[in-house]
Amino acid sequence: MGPLIKLIVLNVVVYAILKFVVPNIPGSAPLPASLVFLYMMLTTSGFVIFATVSAESKEAFWGPIQRFLTGENIGGLQALRYGILILFPLLVGWQTYSSTAVSDAPPSENRTIHPAPPGEYTGLSNPISKTPDAIQQGKGFYAAFCSPCHGGNFDGKGPASRGFNPPPANFSDPTTIAMLQESYLFWRIKKGGVGLPIEGMPWKSAMPRWEVELPDEWIWKIILGEYDGAHQAPRTWE
Amino acid sequence: MTQRLKHIVPNVVVGVWLAMGFLTVQPVSAEEKSKVAAPPESTLQSVSVSAPMVKGALPADDPNAAVWSSATMARFPMSPQVHWPTRILDATVKDLNVRALHDGTNVAILLEYADPTEDPDDAAAIEFMVGDKKAHFAHGQPMAQVEGGPVNIWYWKNKDNKGVDMNAKGFGTIKVQTHQDVKAKGTYANGTWKVVFTRPLATEHADEDTQIATGGFINIAFAVWDGKKDVSGELKEKGSQKAVTSWWNFRAEAPPDYSSYYYAAIAVGVALGFQFVLIRKLKKGHSA
Repeated sequence: MGPLIKLIVLNVVVYAILKFVVPNIPGSAPLPASLVFLYMMLTTSGFVIFATVSAESKEAFWGPIQRFLTGENIGGLQALRYGILILFPLLVGWQTYSSTAVSDAPPSENRTIHPAPPGEYTGLSNPISKTPDAIQQGKGFYAAFCSPCHGGNFDGKGPASRGFNPPPANFSDPTTIAMLQESYLFWRIKKGGVGLPIEGMPWKSAMPRWEVELPDEWIWKIILGEYDGAHQAPRTWE
Repeated sequence: MTQRLKHIVPNVVVGVWLAMGFLTVQPVSAEEKSKVAAPPESTLQSVSVSAPMVKGALPADDPNAAVWSSATMARFPMSPQVHWPTRILDATVKDLNVRALHDGTNVAILLEYADPTEDPDDAAAIEFMVGDKKAHFAHGQPMAQVEGGPVNIWYWKNKDNKGVDMNAKGFGTIKVQTHQDVKAKGTYANGTWKVVFTRPLATEHADEDTQIATGGFINIAFAVWDGKKDVSGELKEKGSQKAVTSWWNFRAEAPPDYSSYYYAAIAVGVALGFQFVLIRKLKKGHSA
């Protein structure tokens, strides 16, 4: 097998691993195309360094490339050569155009959905015992104050949710309240959208500052009702 | 024969590899960009209002002028105002269609929405941030950890049928400006309100008015009141009881810019030059 074919096989294998194996490892996620490209570039440069360490291996690697670009009497490859010589500048031109053209898209926003809470709200435990009564009361408060946006089904799709950006949180999604402690929810409900730090973009949030309308006890009960209704459990450190 | 094949196979492979490599990288990076950038279908929900530049007068008094069709329609779902008391849990207006145009000096923004009844107290408003500080969409109310700025509100009410230029920085701080730069006109037909707001892109009061520079994105939000009276004679929606949106984006498009084509042409030239030099070098090295 010539070194070039080895390089291609190696790249195909690396691509297949990154695209189909890595995302299926538990706890992993699909890699962005730019990262896949970067890994393949690293694989290629590593291979090129390896393939050119001796004069002999260098000839085996570069020889075919050189013959393809400059050799005479290469038959049908001549057409391919011209094709590539035309295609390459056009691609460079297209790349330059697309990177300098004015974008029609508004600036992307990297909003942190669950920013760190202020120190005084970390590690508070719910002072209300998790009794069926308390949960029931909490669900009642939830229905009155929270469900217009967060939805009767705890899915963030309440009738008043449609105009808001960011959308109200979906509590049945395992990446929302299931990842958070009760003290975090207490902070978010009490201080509302305007209580967020800058990375949470408080100016966009429609979450009310419930401390001006609801006593703390009601907020803690709402938290019990929310977890129960959404079939989630708060995150604990044990 | 086998000797020849030995030479040809790597040649073919190199050619195909190069071409495939470039062709795959290209769409892959484009696809990744579009995932972040592409706004949802305008028929469902937009993220941005874009005002193209037009020649001739803006249709400030005519929401039905043909020139409006040169602007892409943006569509924003609306929510009842539930953020702050006194809230409302169901508002009449569910969706708002927005188009905008500018002529290099003035901007015109057309709001269009369904309202089953025409009432004297029907009203609509557009909100912007003023200056560099971020302002909360609910009247620029104070934020706990971020120092916010004021908002500029352009307000229209059917019975006055004119624009009012206002500022607010927190609930209950709304103030009509001494300099009125906003004009507005509403037209009601077939169960639909069409309201056109116009203002100069730039004004002399940068601490009160939003300044619209062409090409740049700014924040925009909307509010609509159904001024219908219920059986007891009370207004269905008034004050904080209204349909709202939170912040979206607005841009007055810059005049066409062809510089990307020049850059692309230069890049093609450089790539051709590179190929020319490379092949010459390779040929020389070969014959030497």
